[in-house]
Amino acid sequence: MSRTQAVRIGGLAAALLAWEGVSRLGWISPIILASPSAVLAAIRADGGVFLQAFEVTLAEIAIAIALAWSLGIGVGVAAGSLPRLGATAGPLLSSLFAIPLIILYPLFVAWVGMGPASKILFGAASGFFPIALNALSGVRCLDPRFALVARGMGATTGQIFFKVLLPLALPAIISGLRVGTSLIIIGVVVTEMLASVGGVGFLISYHRTMFNTGHVYLGIFLALLAALLVNRGLSHLEERFGRWRILEQTRA
Amino acid sequence: MARHVIEVRGLTKTYSPHRAPVRALDRVSFTVDEGQFVTLVGPSGGGKSTLLLILAGLVESTTGEVWVDGEQVRGPVPEKIGIVFQDATLLPWKTALANVEFPLDLRHVPRGVRRERALALLEMVGLQDFADRYPHELSGGMRQRVAIARGLVQDPRIVLMDEPFGALDEQTRTKMGQELLRIWEKTRKTIFFITHSLTEAIYLSDVVLVMSPRPGRILDVMPVDLPRPRRFEMMGSEAFGQARNRIWKLITEGEG
Ligand SMILES: Nc1ncnc2c1ncn2[C@@H]1O[C@H](COP(=O)(O)OP(=O)(O)OP(=O)(O)O)[C@@H](O)[C@H]1O
Ligand SMILES: [Mg+2]
Repeated sequence: MSRTQAVRIGGLAAALLAWEGVSRLGWISPIILASPSAVLAAIRADGGVFLQAFEVTLAEIAIAIALAWSLGIGVGVAAGSLPRLGATAGPLLSSLFAIPLIILYPLFVAWVGMGPASKILFGAASGFFPIALNALSGVRCLDPRFALVARGMGATTGQIFFKVLLPLALPAIISGLRVGTSLIIIGVVVTEMLASVGGVGFLISYHRTMFNTGHVYLGIFLALLAALLVNRGLSHLEERFGRWRILEQTRA
Repeated sequence: MARHVIEVRGLTKTYSPHRAPVRALDRVSFTVDEGQFVTLVGPSGGGKSTLLLILAGLVESTTGEVWVDGEQVRGPVPEKIGIVFQDATLLPWKTALANVEFPLDLRHVPRGVRRERALALLEMVGLQDFADRYPHELSGGMRQRVAIARGLVQDPRIVLMDEPFGALDEQTRTKMGQELLRIWEKTRKTIFFITHSLTEAIYLSDVVLVMSPRPGRILDVMPVDLPRPRRFEMMGSEAFGQARNRIWKLITEGEG
């Protein structure tokens, strides 16, 4: 174990102890702040249920990500590289993005029910717009000569799309994915909290009404964990594909 | 008589965006002989790049025809025409070698063949030791050399260059010009080269095409009577000065 790791773990332990102490001393009502032991108790009592809910939430997020990423990038890059499509799709996308989607959620529930499908749909819709908009502007800002040179070399339209425009716009696309993906996570968890019978969001809102603060905190931790996991994945992606842009900027 | 490897007949180009139409080229006709080094000079916005894109089959002309090597150009002809732009347009996530290989990669040329060919070209432009560097690790002049190697990798008969040295400082630019002449003498490609620099145009070419302000017309087809190989000192010669003055006069009169 390295020194910094030791310091980190020590710091975490100290924070947990202080937190437990504050709760034990009764300075803050246990309804507002659950103690670590209360969270542990929640794990002991309902750990299995939470784990199952966590799986449901993660699956919903994963499917919503798959939908929003593929559609968002596809639509965005297409609209960015085809001026005619972009001229209509661009303003349409940005005005739709400005609508608070949550007002449409009851519609989604009416269409596909209260189950995971409505969460996936809502999550994907929340993520789609920023992803598409970023991809669109990312491609549109590219020097048109890149596509010209490629076509002059004999590249097919598909090759220009996948081998030139998409990778060139990748740094912009990835920053869209960052915004979009956090909106997906928020969207899924929030709609679970609003109306559902499954997932971490549901457990949070259910236990909140029962004043089981330990359970609520456990749910919150799991939601944070989901966000953390996804963020990790994104950083990986950024590291792998966005590196040249960073290198280029540090040089310039 | 050498045969015409490029033949342009009555090219007119009107861009018609949603707003007012822009007439970029007006009845442009000329021919280029096999192995010639031809430059095109003219005022900014005169339609030079437009002409190059039409030659490359990347933009459609409004009227007129382009024939390359006995065939009418109706779309890109990568096996016959290589293109080099200013600022190189290299793909930033690919190494110099991978950038040069890229056109072959697009056409599914086997890896070994691709590599060998690209390495040979990098060597010709003097960058064999920089094959695994990324564009951002290269100087402007080096990037431009990579772009030239890429333009040559499909072994086209014709190379079209749109202000390839426009972004370089004068010293590098002069060196690159000499380098290009060396490559040209070695490969005997036909080169069609756009520049703003009259000196560069005269120094490099067999023939200078002088274009008018928009809509671009060819004002003159001026042969350059300087011996080859060209040497730096020639820029100070009387013949050089006369050629310069003549082009300058044509361009400024065209504006008037
Ligand atoms: N895609 C386009 N759509 C509409 N107009 C265009 C387009 N491309 C060029 N033009 C117009 O055509 C004219 C000629 O442009 P072109 O780029 O060919 O000039 P140029 O001689 O290469 O100029 P420069 O020396 O500055 O590069 C300009 O007025 C330009 O605005
Ligand atoms: Mg130009």
